[in-house]
Amino acid sequence: MAENTDVVMNHVELPGLDCGLCGFKHCEELEQQLVLRPELIKRCIHLAEERIDAAAGPRTPTMAAAPAPVSAPAPARPRPMRLAPFVDTLGRDFDFYLEHFPEDPGPREIILPHNPMITRELPVRKGDVLIGRPLGMSCGCPITHCGIAMEVDERTGVIVWCVTGPLAPRAQGFKDLGYYIAEGYEGLITETKSEIKIGCRYYFQPRMCMLQWRHSGLVNFMNHTSAGIQVRLEGLWIG
Amino acid sequence: MAKRIYFDHSATTPLDPRVALAMQPANEELFGNPSSLHSEGRQAKEFLQQARARVAALLNADANEIIFTASGTEADNLALLGVFHAGHQPGHMITSSIEHPAITAACGFLEKCGVSVTYLPVDEQGLIAPADLQQAFRADTRLVSIMSANNVVGTIQPIAELARITHERGVLFHTDAVQSTGKVPLDVRRVAVDMVSMSAHKLHGPKGVGALWVRKGVQLRPVIFGGGQERGLRSATENVAGIVGFGKAAQLAFEQMPEEAARLVHLRERILSGLQESLPQTYLIGHPYKRLPGHLCLAFAGQEGEAIKLLLALDEAGVAVSSGSACSAHRASEPSPVLLAMGFDPIRARGTLRVTLGRFNTAHEVDRFLQILPQAVNLLRPVASYAGLARV
Repeated sequence: MAENTDVVMNHVELPGLDCGLCGFKHCEELEQQLVLRPELIKRCIHLAEERIDAAAGPRTPTMAAAPAPVSAPAPARPRPMRLAPFVDTLGRDFDFYLEHFPEDPGPREIILPHNPMITRELPVRKGDVLIGRPLGMSCGCPITHCGIAMEVDERTGVIVWCVTGPLAPRAQGFKDLGYYIAEGYEGLITETKSEIKIGCRYYFQPRMCMLQWRHSGLVNFMNHTSAGIQVRLEGLWIG
Repeated sequence: MAKRIYFDHSATTPLDPRVALAMQPANEELFGNPSSLHSEGRQAKEFLQQARARVAALLNADANEIIFTASGTEADNLALLGVFHAGHQPGHMITSSIEHPAITAACGFLEKCGVSVTYLPVDEQGLIAPADLQQAFRADTRLVSIMSANNVVGTIQPIAELARITHERGVLFHTDAVQSTGKVPLDVRRVAVDMVSMSAHKLHGPKGVGALWVRKGVQLRPVIFGGGQERGLRSATENVAGIVGFGKAAQLAFEQMPEEAARLVHLRERILSGLQESLPQTYLIGHPYKRLPGHLCLAFAGQEGEAIKLLLALDEAGVAVSSGSACSAHRASEPSPVLLAMGFDPIRARGTLRVTLGRFNTAHEVDRFLQILPQAVNLLRPVASYAGLARV
């Protein structure tokens, strides 16, 4: 231990900035600690790592003093931030972007709670802020969604909601649906590379999809408007 | 009812009461226009100059090199657009793929004007490799802009090294130091930077005030035109009260920096070690120690998709944290571009919890948080129900 310390202290001078970022108020305090714990030298962010490693020779600092962080799941190499049109974050092609209606607060979805009775039990009312996760078939997204109820069918439990960010639940409180099935989407197509026909299944990218993954669905309603092609899609899957 | 815990200091900080006190005369009595020649104007100007000196002291800079703006965003815009003459001067600039929107959006504008922009990649801890910068220069490169510390993951960049490389090529270096000012020392007489952006509300000062430090001799064109205040670079009557508050906040940050940084590092690590004990699925995002002193970016393996629910549960339990930068909360349906650039997949890029500590946080609050957070996490619905296999 003492040998390592000597090596570090002989070859690496602390910067004398007294920045506190190492957890010690002054460089002098760190210097005193290095006598017992030479690996703390890594904590000086102002020293280039190659200088520290060179001074420490073959020693491999263990950072034993620091809580060993669980390493993040090994990330891949950085991917380009800007995606090509009609390609999702997994590099898969799709036919069109699905936009939400201009007057809606977010993408309009038709959902059914896994326990449809919960719609009456909570109860869910138009304008309520809801959260839940779309479990299972249609559409397997692992992200909890937030939204505002637009229409509620108490008889069947079906809810039409507009998905929003977390700001509304934060501000207004929320009701938790638990799990739900996304049965349909409604929206506008303003950018497409394919001709849209009713009755056909397409790959599409909901513009606001949290993961920017392509979905697929069957178009069962079409209406050409000045804002774009209004569609309803059912039989939804991710991918 | 227990007092709420505010752990979102990277979004904004509460006004220090000493700053509020310093601003009081400026709000109530110093109504004069600093450009006026009468006593009221001269008095306002004196306060302005005192604040300028205090902000400059944070960087060991000359007071005359400080240009006050209305925000850190404006300071960033002035730096980038000012060098490229609001897009009328072509050329090339280099920035990173994890910059704040104040930089990326300005770069987007410059690209539309014909300026070519290179976005440097970062590694999985959010660090830029100096070798990548070395290779990115072109004959027409006029500016490098790299943030000092990242607002989402807290990683501190090797600014001194990046600035040195840039100056060797005779190119200007700007750093967005909005997150690091007052927390990480930056001495502009030792580090080869040319412009530094700062914001008052990130260091317990008022909102609506920022500054750009511009090294003497750097040629910059204004983006706001008018009466020629701030050396002609930022026309408009100065926000005297706000600037006085910024000056006081800068003075306090400067005086308390080492003690405060060391204290925050200890609180930060107390949270991290406490969580890793009670929630073994906790993992840290960013560099383990090249990070802002009070900044933790965490995620919970297998529960990343529930970040929104966790945030809401914590809010209900009286804790204010963030799932990313506040600047993107209104676009919360998108994964974080910073984490995507660090190589995270979109699920993990959405599933982070940002815990950022500040001056008024205490060890008691940290201990309360360590009790509240595991309860909230254990209520989440994991994507996988089976937890019998250890992570490797």
